[in-house]
Amino acid sequence: MATEGSERFDQVDWSDLSRSGRFDLSINSIGMLLTTLPLALLAVYDTQFIGDRTPTFEFIGLDRTFEAVDFFFIFTLFLAFWYLVLPLYQNPRMTRYYWKEFKRNRPAVVSMVWLGIVFVGGIIGPLVMSAPQQELLVAYQPPVFTSVVESTPATCVGEVMNGRCHGTWEYPLGTTNAGRDVFTMIVYGMTISMQIAFITTTIVATIGITFGTLSAYSGGWVDEIMMRFVDIILSFPTFLMFLLILYIYGGGLGMFIVVFSLFAWGGTARYVRSKSLSISEEEFIKASRISGASTYQVIRGHVVPNVASSIITQLTLLIPGFLLFEAQLAFLGVGDSTVPSWGQLISAGRSDLSYAPWIVLAPGIVLFLTILAFNFLGDALLDALNPEAEAESE
Amino acid sequence: MTEPLLSVRDLKKHYPIRKGLFNRQVGAARAVDGISFDIEEGETLGLVGESGCGKSTAASSVIRLEEPTSGEVVFNGNGRGSASRNPDGTHPNDVTEFDDDELMQFRRGAQMIFQDPSSSFDPRMSVGSAVGELLKVHGMSDRHRRRAIVEDLLERVGLSASDFDRYPHEFSGGQKQRIALARALVLNPDLIIADEPVSALDVSIQAEILSLIDDLQEEFGLSLLFISHDMSVIRQICDRVAVMYLGEIVEIGPVEEIFTNPQHPYTEALLSSIPTPDPRASVGGIELKGTVPSPTNPPSGCRFHTRCHKVIQPDGVDIDQDDWRGLLNFREKVITGEIDIDQVRENVAAGGSDPTDSEVRAEIRREFDISETVGDPDLEETLSEAMNLLLDDNAEMAGEFLSDEITTPCAQTEPETTVHAADHESACLRHEGRAAAEPNPADD
Repeated sequence: MATEGSERFDQVDWSDLSRSGRFDLSINSIGMLLTTLPLALLAVYDTQFIGDRTPTFEFIGLDRTFEAVDFFFIFTLFLAFWYLVLPLYQNPRMTRYYWKEFKRNRPAVVSMVWLGIVFVGGIIGPLVMSAPQQELLVAYQPPVFTSVVESTPATCVGEVMNGRCHGTWEYPLGTTNAGRDVFTMIVYGMTISMQIAFITTTIVATIGITFGTLSAYSGGWVDEIMMRFVDIILSFPTFLMFLLILYIYGGGLGMFIVVFSLFAWGGTARYVRSKSLSISEEEFIKASRISGASTYQVIRGHVVPNVASSIITQLTLLIPGFLLFEAQLAFLGVGDSTVPSWGQLISAGRSDLSYAPWIVLAPGIVLFLTILAFNFLGDALLDALNPEAEAESE
Repeated sequence: MTEPLLSVRDLKKHYPIRKGLFNRQVGAARAVDGISFDIEEGETLGLVGESGCGKSTAASSVIRLEEPTSGEVVFNGNGRGSASRNPDGTHPNDVTEFDDDELMQFRRGAQMIFQDPSSSFDPRMSVGSAVGELLKVHGMSDRHRRRAIVEDLLERVGLSASDFDRYPHEFSGGQKQRIALARALVLNPDLIIADEPVSALDVSIQAEILSLIDDLQEEFGLSLLFISHDMSVIRQICDRVAVMYLGEIVEIGPVEEIFTNPQHPYTEALLSSIPTPDPRASVGGIELKGTVPSPTNPPSGCRFHTRCHKVIQPDGVDIDQDDWRGLLNFREKVITGEIDIDQVRENVAAGGSDPTDSEVRAEIRREFDISETVGDPDLEETLSEAMNLLLDDNAEMAGEFLSDEITTPCAQTEPETTVHAADHESACLRHEGRAAAEPNPADD
């Protein structure tokens, strides 16, 4: 019920209001600003005031350092929280509706649980587990419940029975040729995979949505030129470009992410453009324009949210490509060997495949499951995020 | 007499048609071509016409969703009344000349309801925010205040305050139209333009929405421009009606006057399309043949003459009206080259033996509803001559011949507006010259 004594629509004195409240920020934007500010300050502090080799958190006595990729990753996490998770909480009705649609797809729910594990593992893991150390003495330990010929590991940590070395819980997925714990490395690899997933998605979505809506709303020659530029982006040999940059500047994980996401937004932009064009013909856009909203307000308030929910699917299906590409590059030996990604682990184990297959198999299976999960999730999101189509068919 | 709330003068909206490498303008679709009407405070003006006659374009030009090509839309709401014209002839309240601030103010004075309830709400926005969006755009930043106003309004249009957080897909078409009404009302406008607001709804729901519109109109003194193609809906809700055909208003007058004493043949045709509950009543009466001509190249003279069942015969000719209509249709088809004589032959041959010329002639007459012999010997001769040319596969000659021999004044003269009674005007050549002497002719 409307509260008693509240004012009615025909009692509003508009001349009082006309000029006020142009810049009222939503809770989401305020939260985003408040959390990004310390991060930005920390980044400035890290790059300007302390040496390259000093750990970022030395001032509170922590031996932990942040790279540019880490800063950007945290920034994208903030973005995801304030503009994806919080709105879901703020609009419980819509969330329940999405969830109802989403949970019909069982494989997708399982996929989401798996991706949740990878996400939480990637965030929490490195905080609670110390980085895997090289320990040649315990190299080639088999995973728990399995055994290898006694001569394979340098020294067997577990029991030796009938000339075979058995795995222990100390190294649940075995160790590598350098004696690093494969499980710990997989957990550390989760961080890398999530960094790739979040940062590329953010870059692709930002450029794609901006470019696509601009193109759709400009029309004419501008539209023509922008779309031809997209054609160039789409047909650009990214891999060769990456190799070139690699040999000139040397490549790290950050370089990989930047180069590949800067050449991956073409399809998204094209999709956004066509979607914006079709949305701008809808009557609710006319209604919004008649209400007096400016073009920016219409795009920000109606076009982008409607486009965004349909490109989430596309973006979800883009992530596996990046993860796979990173693994491929690592396998080829042109990846960033300083980061403990799954691809690096696979590539490290490939020469030992005949007698220590777990080094390749464990990260390989995790990678496979993750890619599969993203694909299932994408399909389910496509069905769940389309309420109007559902409502029509009912 | 007080000044009207909305006064539209000679409003035109032409869509340029561009072609070629340099987008040269090669023509224009004259969707709205010089319409004028007034809406008084608290009045409902209906705008009727077939699909494609420019009703919706007229609406979006009036409310400046699209920029009109020319003309004047004077809006005297928002307490801007009693303004006088500037020395240069422009009006200070002319919507088409408003700057951004004035336009923003105009948005608070005039709002619109759309036809399709399923697409008139953002599927990702709760209906409460959709209605409240207008308040926000106009500077009300207080969330709680917006919510209180919108909840009160939702109740007023027959929904409950708890519907605020629900999403469009959770409502039926009729409920969505109620919300659309709330959205149009929330800025407390003086004028609401309703573009076929009930044509997508069931008849029973239509009645509810119409009575809701009626109640709200009475309570808040709203003026309405009500666009529809359904004459029975118009009769139910409107005070006055304007009948549109191909971008022009052909007749305008009080609703009872139009329904009981239509002056323009097109209005008659529209009225005869209303189904009557009496099973013995003759159904339909007047059937309009053909489609609405393209607004890119409208017919000369009276735009309705290509389909009019009362098209005027020239001086000295007095034949059966159906024959005359048939002759004109025949002439039109021959000129545009749409008669394929071989096709006609084939159709006749399908009945059996090789068709004789006389059989083909009879088939053509049948096709155009022309009787065995036309009542006027000269015309009969012209017709036979044209058919001979056609049978000789000389369609071009036949066309030239017909366009010389068969003419109607309707195609040559543009009709002026004739006043029939107070506030009742139409534009038809049949009334010209008669109106002054006979203000209310008992036609038919």
